[in-house]
Amino acid sequence: MASVRIDDLCAEIEAEVYVQGDMSREVARAAVGDLLSFVMGSGAEGAAWITVQTHLNVAAVAVLKDIPIIIIASGRVPANDLTERCRVEGISLVGAKSSIFDICVKLGRLGLRG
Amino acid sequence: MEYEIAADDYMAAGAASNSIKEALKMLGVPTAISRRAAIITYEAEMNLVIHGGGGKIVANIDESSVELMTIDQGPGIPDVEKAVQEGFTTAGDRAREMGFGAGMGLPNIKRNADVFEIFTEVGAGTTLRTVINLP
Repeated sequence: MASVRIDDLCAEIEAEVYVQGDMSREVARAAVGDLLSFVMGSGAEGAAWITVQTHLNVAAVAVLKDIPIIIIASGRVPANDLTERCRVEGISLVGAKSSIFDICVKLGRLGLRG
Repeated sequence: MEYEIAADDYMAAGAASNSIKEALKMLGVPTAISRRAAIITYEAEMNLVIHGGGGKIVANIDESSVELMTIDQGPGIPDVEKAVQEGFTTAGDRAREMGFGAGMGLPNIKRNADVFEIFTEVGAGTTLRTVINLP
């Protein structure tokens, strides 16, 4: 299982960065889901999280799971309060035009695992 | 510590769980345990927002344990056994669109608690009691 720096990961998916957390932090795993409690129950701690949810509660789940980066897929734009909360919590928040599936393919090629 | 949770206030969610997590951190409780308490509190908060018609969360912390109580005067739970099954939900459309209603709330709480008790009466309300033992 490879570890990938968050800034390298962002370059790979051509992400638009809304909030820069610790971009040199490395992630080895990723979690996908739009059901918040499902991600909270089954996602790996410290994983990158890919979702199409854009509201404030996304940050609440990320904080609880020590998720360092949230990737909003399919060109969706995060709500202002989500952006603000990620800034306060030091969580990187980025958007990508690609679908969740295409993002996963790219992250899988980088060596991330679920 | 006591927190009032308002019905349908989806955007306040996480406030009580953050506060409890911070308090436990200040008391020197290991991160793995404070995270369990925070997950329980977050799911309980959302249950109050979505199902309970609001209510309160009471946290009692001593040297040996963290007790988290959730009290509401909501509709009650007709079938507790079903409610604690993974995937079972009665959340409405609005909650589901926001990604709630996975049917994982009570299962997530149960998984993170050492003691898990539900006292409920249809039409009168629900009290959830959980305890996490401290090392």
